[in-house]
Amino acid sequence: MSHSIMIRTFADEVKSIPGGEHLELCYSCGTCVSKCMIQQKVEPDYNPRRLLRLAIMDLKDEAFKSPTTWMCSECDLCYQACPQEIHISQVIAAVKKLAVEAGYTSPLTPVSVDEELCSGCGICVMVCPYEAPSLYEKEHNGDLDRLSEVDANKCMRCGTCVGACPLGAIAREGVSNTEITSQFGYVIPHNPLLVAFVCDWSLREDADVSLLESYPEDQVKIVHIPCTGRIDPQHALMALDSGINGVLVCGCKPGECHFKRGNHVAKCKISLLDAMLKQMQLNDKNIRLVQIGTQERGRIKYEVDDMLSTLKAPKEAIA
Amino acid sequence: MTAKPKLAFYWAASCGGCEVTITELGMRLVDVSEQADIVFWPAAMDFKYDDVRAMKDKEIDICFFNGAIRNSENKEMAHLLRQKSKCMISFGSCSHLGGIPGLANLFDIESLCQRVFDTTPSLDDSRGTRPQKQTLMPEGEVDLPELYDQVKCLSDITEVDYFMPGCPPVVDQVWKVFTAALNGDLPAKGSILGVDPKNVCDVCERDKGEPSFRIKEFKRPHEVSLDQEKCFLTQGIICSGPATRAGCGTPCLQGNMPCRGCYGPAEGIIDQGAKLASAIGALIDTDDPEKLQVILDTMTDPAGTFYRFGLADSIMNKMKYE
Repeated sequence: MSHSIMIRTFADEVKSIPGGEHLELCYSCGTCVSKCMIQQKVEPDYNPRRLLRLAIMDLKDEAFKSPTTWMCSECDLCYQACPQEIHISQVIAAVKKLAVEAGYTSPLTPVSVDEELCSGCGICVMVCPYEAPSLYEKEHNGDLDRLSEVDANKCMRCGTCVGACPLGAIAREGVSNTEITSQFGYVIPHNPLLVAFVCDWSLREDADVSLLESYPEDQVKIVHIPCTGRIDPQHALMALDSGINGVLVCGCKPGECHFKRGNHVAKCKISLLDAMLKQMQLNDKNIRLVQIGTQERGRIKYEVDDMLSTLKAPKEAIA
Repeated sequence: MTAKPKLAFYWAASCGGCEVTITELGMRLVDVSEQADIVFWPAAMDFKYDDVRAMKDKEIDICFFNGAIRNSENKEMAHLLRQKSKCMISFGSCSHLGGIPGLANLFDIESLCQRVFDTTPSLDDSRGTRPQKQTLMPEGEVDLPELYDQVKCLSDITEVDYFMPGCPPVVDQVWKVFTAALNGDLPAKGSILGVDPKNVCDVCERDKGEPSFRIKEFKRPHEVSLDQEKCFLTQGIICSGPATRAGCGTPCLQGNMPCRGCYGPAEGIIDQGAKLASAIGALIDTDDPEKLQVILDTMTDPAGTFYRFGLADSIMNKMKYE
């Protein structure tokens, strides 16, 4: 005998989708909201507690229009904290699935694919934590070209695909290859000592960001990236090649990536780069990855100072 | 009747594969020799360096120079041929990017000599031999070219008009370039010849883009039975195709072997090895950070794999030697 759930309300619809089952366990304590980085950093109206309440109260249209439905990146910081152990991101994903089926679209601007550059290699399809890109075939001069396209409702704009795309065919505003490299020596005549690629999500406090920005330009140049998954080892080498003494990549602690796995991706890339630098008998300490936890307020200053002191040392010794 | 254009071919630090690719033109070489005079080709014809020295400056119309710059003889001939040629084409991976000989830049010259002259398994015993510039023999003093401490690309030491990648450049592309050159149809100086747009993946027919695919272990081609239809990366095999310029016609892929990167970085890529680390690094299965090192350890030689043909042209090479 099979069980069939009678679907009478919107809450029933949400619960019928795998991941949505635990909706009604929520007693609206709001712990999720206190943990949520989106609410703190970008969207004050972002509120998982409220979205779950809207679903329970059958306010379908409000739920579909809520930024919470579209902006959750499944970092699961709230899941770890929820006293009811609700996998909140999965409930939100269930609401989002219904919203997409009902014809609603994400308010976020997805990454874009340049068809002239894309070769259909499929790297983006494999690396995306959200399975947003897919390959399709398009006729071009009588031939079938294999190209990548991005599902705008799935893309969370982490930039992992931008960093991995071999041909620079994927762009996300602010962090295309030229937008990144133009921020250091390839264009600027006076290079800083250190270039710091900083994940937009790794520093919890505004105070940390302004602390970082307080270093003089000739010491630390900050390049903001959406996630360390965006890192391209080419850029680290280009920075050193242009006369910058060190590269610091600041991301999030394992388990705390805002985009599921971008911090792991960065770790893999930097580890590979380190291995190659070692093989080349070059100093691998001048390219450093630090992973800062959400609770580690103020650590960024310690990391930057530590790196600056090692970079200054040889110069002073020569003087 | 106007004089036929004069062609020269030379090999520096190379294996001879680039010479073989020219002979693979077969009967088409006869057409070439009808339209042009081959005035220097040490691998195939009896010419001496003095023949080149005796030529007037810019007497050669096109010089195809293969091989990397490894010693003083390579360098001297590069400068001499540049002086005598109107157009200098850097031919093949070694001349273009340092190629396989460029991998020697991973080591210092003494450890290379130790390997070659002291510890190679086929040596009975080491006599501590090292190449000497001058050696006194009963017949008189003999000279050897000086071995340099790094392998360089041709364009590092002299002006190059065109680049033609490949290890070796494939014969169809060679023919196209020959035809264009003899008809005076070459593009703007500095162009890369005998290539196609985009990368090797663009022309690879295999099934690609498995959503959320993760590499759990790197394997080498001889360790697995390879699926002919699937992207090598999704079989745990490192393929340099994503970062490598198209143009080869994919003979390796058709032979069920991954791309090894000999056509050099595709358009828009500044450092082929670092870009491969970026593309392939992002595929590594990292749900358990503890296992990362275990997975990375299954890749035996990252620099030699990602920079197989391009090490001497890489940013790391610049960092080491400048």
